[in-house]
Amino acid sequence: MGRITLDKVTKSFGDIEVIPPLDLTIDEGEFVVFVGPSGCGKSTLLRLIAGLEDVSSGQIRIDREDATHLPPAKRKLAMVFQSYALYPHMSVRKNIAFPLKMAGMSKEEQDKRVDYAAQVLNLSDYIDRKPGQLSGGQRQRVAIGRAIVREPAAFLFDEPLSNLDAALRVNMRLEISELHTKLKTTMVYVTHDQVEAMTMADKIVVLQAGRIEQVGSPLELYRAPRNRFVAGFIGSPKMNFITGEEAAKHGAHEIGVRPEHLQPSTESGMWKGTVGVGEHLGSDTFLHVHDTGLAETITVRASGEMALRHGDTIWLTPEADKIHKFDAAGLRVE
Amino acid sequence: MATQHSRAAARLMISPSVLLLLGWMLIPLGMTIYFSLLRYNLLMPGNNPYVGWENYKYFLTDPAFTAAIVNTLLLVGGVLLITVVGGVLLGLLLDQPMWGQGIVRILVIAPFFVMPTVSALVWKNMFMNPVNGLFAYLAQFLGLEPFDFLAQAPLMSIIGIVSWQWLPFATLILLTAMQSLDREQLEAAEMDGAGPFSRFFYIVVPHLARAVTVVVLIQTIFLLSVFAEILVTTNGGPGNASTNLTYLVYAESLLRFDVGTGSAGGVVAIVLANIVAIFLMRMIGKNLEA
Repeated sequence: MGRITLDKVTKSFGDIEVIPPLDLTIDEGEFVVFVGPSGCGKSTLLRLIAGLEDVSSGQIRIDREDATHLPPAKRKLAMVFQSYALYPHMSVRKNIAFPLKMAGMSKEEQDKRVDYAAQVLNLSDYIDRKPGQLSGGQRQRVAIGRAIVREPAAFLFDEPLSNLDAALRVNMRLEISELHTKLKTTMVYVTHDQVEAMTMADKIVVLQAGRIEQVGSPLELYRAPRNRFVAGFIGSPKMNFITGEEAAKHGAHEIGVRPEHLQPSTESGMWKGTVGVGEHLGSDTFLHVHDTGLAETITVRASGEMALRHGDTIWLTPEADKIHKFDAAGLRVE
Repeated sequence: MATQHSRAAARLMISPSVLLLLGWMLIPLGMTIYFSLLRYNLLMPGNNPYVGWENYKYFLTDPAFTAAIVNTLLLVGGVLLITVVGGVLLGLLLDQPMWGQGIVRILVIAPFFVMPTVSALVWKNMFMNPVNGLFAYLAQFLGLEPFDFLAQAPLMSIIGIVSWQWLPFATLILLTAMQSLDREQLEAAEMDGAGPFSRFFYIVVPHLARAVTVVVLIQTIFLLSVFAEILVTTNGGPGNASTNLTYLVYAESLLRFDVGTGSAGGVVAIVLANIVAIFLMRMIGKNLEA
């Protein structure tokens, strides 16, 4: 249950090809995150899997069955939308029971399943309220509840947390991850936020302009990004990129060093620079270093206790084995 | 910040318009009530003696009154039913993406801009005329007997004409309501296994409830006083078959020159309209809050 295979799937809107031929396998029980900048085709890809958009060519298989031309309802997939898409005139109970009612399930069975979903998601207290009376996080949970009761082969999430405030987003992130461990159902999750991708995914699919840039576990992508795009996209704050002489020294067109792989020092080091803005997070401080002669700014992670002020001189030393090398085409060089 | 002083000044300054509006409303109302208590017939000039409730008694016991009430209700109900159902269906059609959408939408709204008298005359002479009307030609072409709409089904014909006038209004309001429906809701319903009909009845119709109440409220106010269409087509006949309350009041005061009874009828119409309004406001108030 819940293995999704995309085989040479393409999608065009008129003459514009949004998704060039694409192959991807999502294994049973996996938590897969599609991540990429906005407009990269990740939502379109999800909608193709859901059946809300028709593929232009290629094949989609769900559990080895050809689902390319099945209507959305027959694909045994459930989707949670960005706007939650709750039915405003129905109570929470009716919202969650709607797919069951459409499937023609008996009233007792409906109630049983709704009560179970409400209990799993802590919705029991406001089961008779209308969506308009709920907070963002509660609405989100109702939307997930509506997906759970169908016992689908896979869940599809389309940027479900983007309408929540930062604190709630962290909470819901945890709740969804917990739900995944509890249900062990395949989940496909779309987001533009690489932190969500890193924290939740078993497997991340990085997309750009409809193409898959790299597929792998969060740490694989972090340790060995296949190209410059993935290197810049995964990791927060972003990797520092350096071209020119310094890169040539390492035998590459361009090198990249993550802020956490630079050793800051007030006395000595490889690169000298001036401290610009410091972002104090308590545990860490991110310093933006200027005038290194390498790049406009270089971001470095220092310990939270490091006493440096705007305009101070700083030396940076990269950890030699953590330098990523790229050729002129932006591909990784080992 | 409104001080005590400035508030008093504001009241003083708006008072002329308030008084004007009050007078504008109260003087005709007062005169209508006053006339309704007099024996006041233009055919019998002289002193107009006070007769108490006699005019009311005469108006309410007139067999034409019951007929007029029934006709009014049929007219309002029939037109509401046709325009709401037709408006939803037309709205669904116009909501589909198609070539020349803008022009088609303007054309659909066009009947609303034709004055009632003109549209009623066009219907009467161009379509429903049993000799020269298009419907008569159509019937003859099919080898049928032409149907004399205004003589054989006068009320139904008028309901048709008035519906034609109000359908654009209903369509317009319902179409905009339809366009404000969140597409993701429909997609979610599709994922949930709802077919086109379930989606329509479970998602679209509840979403339209508010717009429908607005249409019903506004149309009821105007439909209670339909007059021009009756005057230029059937003159309320044959018999009382197409006389509504408004037309009956007109017939009393200006065809029988009985100002007193006509005024009494006017007051009755005001009372009835207010009863309807109270019911509607309650119903709709509940609907608009939700």
